[in-house]
Amino acid sequence: MRQGRKSYLSQQQSAWLLLAPFLVTYALFLVYPFFRGIWISLHDWNLLAVAFNPDAKDFIGLRNYERVMWGRNIEWGFTAPLLQGLGLIGLAFTAFLHRTNRLSRFNTIALGIVSLLLVVLPGFHPGEGGRWYDRRFWPTVANTVLFVGLTVPGVTVSALLLAAGMNRETRAMGILRTLFFLSQVLSVTVVTLIWQIMFSPRQGLIANITEVMGGTPINWLTDQQFAMAAIVIATVWWSLGIAMILFLAGLQDISSEIYEAAALDNARGARAFWYITLPNLRRTITLVVVLQIILHFQVFGQSHLMTQGGPNDTTQVLVRYIYQTGFRDSELGRASAMAVFLFVIMGAFSVIQFIIGREKDE
Amino acid sequence: MKHVLLTAAAAASFASAAPAQEVTLARFFGACEDAGTDTTTSVGEPCIIQSIINAASAEIDGVTVNTLPTDWGNYYDQVKAAFAGGTPPDVFVMHRHRIPEFAGLGALAEISGDLEAAGIDPADWSENALEAVSYEGGIYGVPMDFHANLWHVNMDLMAEAGLVENGEPILPSSPEELMEHAQMVKDATGQDYLAADFAQFPIGVRLVLALMWQQDSNIFSEDGTATINTEAGANAVTAITQLFDAGLANPQLNYADSQQAFLNGEAAVLVNGTWVVDFYAAEAAKEEVGLDNYYAADFPTLFDTGATWADSHMWALPSTIDGETRAAAMKVLAFINDHNIDWARTGHMAVRNSVVESDAYQSLPHRDEYAETAAIAKDTPPSERYGAIQDVLNRELQAIWLTGKPVEAALSDAELEVQDLLDR
Repeated sequence: MRQGRKSYLSQQQSAWLLLAPFLVTYALFLVYPFFRGIWISLHDWNLLAVAFNPDAKDFIGLRNYERVMWGRNIEWGFTAPLLQGLGLIGLAFTAFLHRTNRLSRFNTIALGIVSLLLVVLPGFHPGEGGRWYDRRFWPTVANTVLFVGLTVPGVTVSALLLAAGMNRETRAMGILRTLFFLSQVLSVTVVTLIWQIMFSPRQGLIANITEVMGGTPINWLTDQQFAMAAIVIATVWWSLGIAMILFLAGLQDISSEIYEAAALDNARGARAFWYITLPNLRRTITLVVVLQIILHFQVFGQSHLMTQGGPNDTTQVLVRYIYQTGFRDSELGRASAMAVFLFVIMGAFSVIQFIIGREKDE
Repeated sequence: MKHVLLTAAAAASFASAAPAQEVTLARFFGACEDAGTDTTTSVGEPCIIQSIINAASAEIDGVTVNTLPTDWGNYYDQVKAAFAGGTPPDVFVMHRHRIPEFAGLGALAEISGDLEAAGIDPADWSENALEAVSYEGGIYGVPMDFHANLWHVNMDLMAEAGLVENGEPILPSSPEELMEHAQMVKDATGQDYLAADFAQFPIGVRLVLALMWQQDSNIFSEDGTATINTEAGANAVTAITQLFDAGLANPQLNYADSQQAFLNGEAAVLVNGTWVVDFYAAEAAKEEVGLDNYYAADFPTLFDTGATWADSHMWALPSTIDGETRAAAMKVLAFINDHNIDWARTGHMAVRNSVVESDAYQSLPHRDEYAETAAIAKDTPPSERYGAIQDVLNRELQAIWLTGKPVEAALSDAELEVQDLLDR
C-alpha cells in the first residue's frame, strides 16, 4: 500500500457505508411501517375518513385489543376437556422427560410452554350473560392454527419423502426435481385457479375420477368437512418445492461413507432412512418446520380465493380477517391490533428458530 | 383488436396537437378482451360496458379512457385503498348501497352543478333513479340501471311437470305451493326445481331477504335495531330449507356451478339477477347447451307483498377531482348516460324515462316477461356497514344449509352480530 494517503476509510466507516443502503431501506419499509402499525392499533382509525381528514382519528389506548380479544364476563375453567387434558398430559410428560434427563433444556422449555398454553388458553369462556366482544376472532385464530397444524406436517413429510426418493444423480431424477419445484414458482392466484378447477364437482379432475370409480363427487370447497382439507392440499402442492430443495441440500451433506458402514451392518432402505438419514437431517427438518410455520400463519390467498372463508367461516383465517376489517370495514385500528397479535405469534417462532440455530450439536 | 389499435393510433395522431386528457376508470363486471367500439352488438355485461367505454375513448375529442382491472371480488377494497393512497380513479362505478359509506365520508364529488354543462338531463331520470344517486340533498353520481333478482326458468322442464299455462310458467304463490311444484318437477323430470348460489356469493341472502320483505319485515329498522330472529325470518328461511331437506335443491352449488346446472338443464329455476338475461338467452340459442327454452320471470310472491332484492349501478367521481380532468370525466359519464339503451341490453332495467318508453327498449328479448320487477324492487335500509352485514347473513345462512346449524340459533347469532355492526 502507498504511504501518506489518509483518505482511506477506516474499516468501521466502510462497514457503515456498505450497510447504509440496506439499513435505510430496512428502516423505511420495515421498521417504520411496523411501529406505525402499532401506533394505528391504538386509535379508532377509519381508513377512508382519515384519507380525507387526517384528524378523524381518536386515540383510544388498548381498546382495540380489548374489543378484538376480550369480552364481557369472561371466566376461566376446565371447559375444553380435550385440549386442556392434552395440555395436562403434555405437562406431565415434560416433567417426566426432564426428570429422566431425556430432553435438552430448550426442548423442555418449549414443550412445557406449549402444554401450558394448551391448558390455559382454551379455558377462557364467556360466563353467565357474558360474550366475546368479537365472536369471530378466536375461531379465526383456531382455524389458522388448524391450517398450520395440517399444512406444515403435510409439506414436511411429503417433501422429505420426495427428496429421499430423488436424491440420485440421474437425468430422470433431475427432470423430476425440476417438475416438483415448478409449482413453487406459480403465484397464489394461479395455484388457486388450478385447484378450484381440480376440485370443481362438475368439471374437476377429482370429480371425474370419483365418478369413474362409481362415487358421487364431493363439493370440496363448499362442504364443511372438506373445505379446510382442500385448501391444505392445494397449499402442500404449492409449497413442496422449497422444502424439497432444502432437504436435498441436507441429504447431500450426509457422507456416503456412513451409508456404506451402515450397509455392512445390514441397514439398507427404510432402516438406513430411519437410523442414518433422519438423525443427520435433524437440523434441516427443524429449519423447514419453523420456516413453514412462520410462512403458513400468513395464509391468505388460498382461503380468500378458493373458499372466501366459508362455508360458515370454517376456512376463515387471520390475515383474511385482518384484510376484511381493514379494507371492507375500513376499521384500520382494529385490523392493526389483530396484525400485532399475528406478529407476536410469528415473532415467537422466529425466536425459537434463532435459538435452535445457535444451539450446539449435542 | 386490430380495429381498436387502429382507432387508438388514429386518435393518438389526431391528439398529438393538444395532448388528450386521460381519464382513469374503475369498474367491475369482469374483463372483455375484444370489446371493440360497436356498442350495439356486444353481448354480456363485461363486453357491453367495455364497448361503451372504448367508444367513449374513441369518440370524445381530447379524452382517452384508461380502464383499470375489472375484477369484482375485491373491487370496493381496491377503490378504498386507492382513495386512502390519494390516487382514486377519475371515474368509477359503484352500487347505490355504498353511497352512505362513501358520500358520508366526503369521498364523492357532488355533481348537480356539472350535469347541464356535460349534457346530462337529470329530469329524464326516473324518480327512483334520481333517488338512488341522491344523498342529503346532493347528487353524487349518474345512475346506470336498476338490477334485481329474477327467476330464470327452463320452460321445457316446467312443461314436462305441467307447470306452463299460456306460454308462461306457473310459479308458486306460497311456501307450500313451492314444495308441491318442486316435487312435481322432480317426479316428472328427475331434476332439481331450484338452483342458486347458496354457498358463496350472497344470492341465498338476497332470496331470504326478499321473502322477509314479502312478509313486510326487514333485517333491521331505520333507527338501527336488528330484527332477524323473528317469525318472518324463520318463515323465510324454512321456505327454502324445506327444498334442501326434501332433496329438491342442492345448497352446495356456488355461482358458476349453479349457473352451469341451469344451463345443463339440471334445474327448472335459477335465482339470479337481471344481469344474465341476454347471456342466458344467447346460451339457450346454442345447439350444445342443455337449456333450450328460456324465460325470465318476476320473482314470485310467496307471502303477502311482492318484493325482490334490487340495487342500482351508478357512476361517480372522487371529491378531489377538478379542472380539466373533472370536465373530461363528466364527458365520459354523459357518454355512458347516452348509451343507457345499450346497457339495458344486458337485461338490466333502464333509468332514463325516454329509454324506458322507447320501442327499442320494450322490444328487447324477454323484457315483457319481467315487467313487474321494477315495481317490487326493494333493498335493506341504508347503512355504512352494508358489506359487513351481508357477510354476516351469508355466513349464518350458509351455516343453516351447509352445516346443519339450527335455524333459531343461526338467526339469533346473525341478529347479535348485525346489532354489533350497527352499534359500532
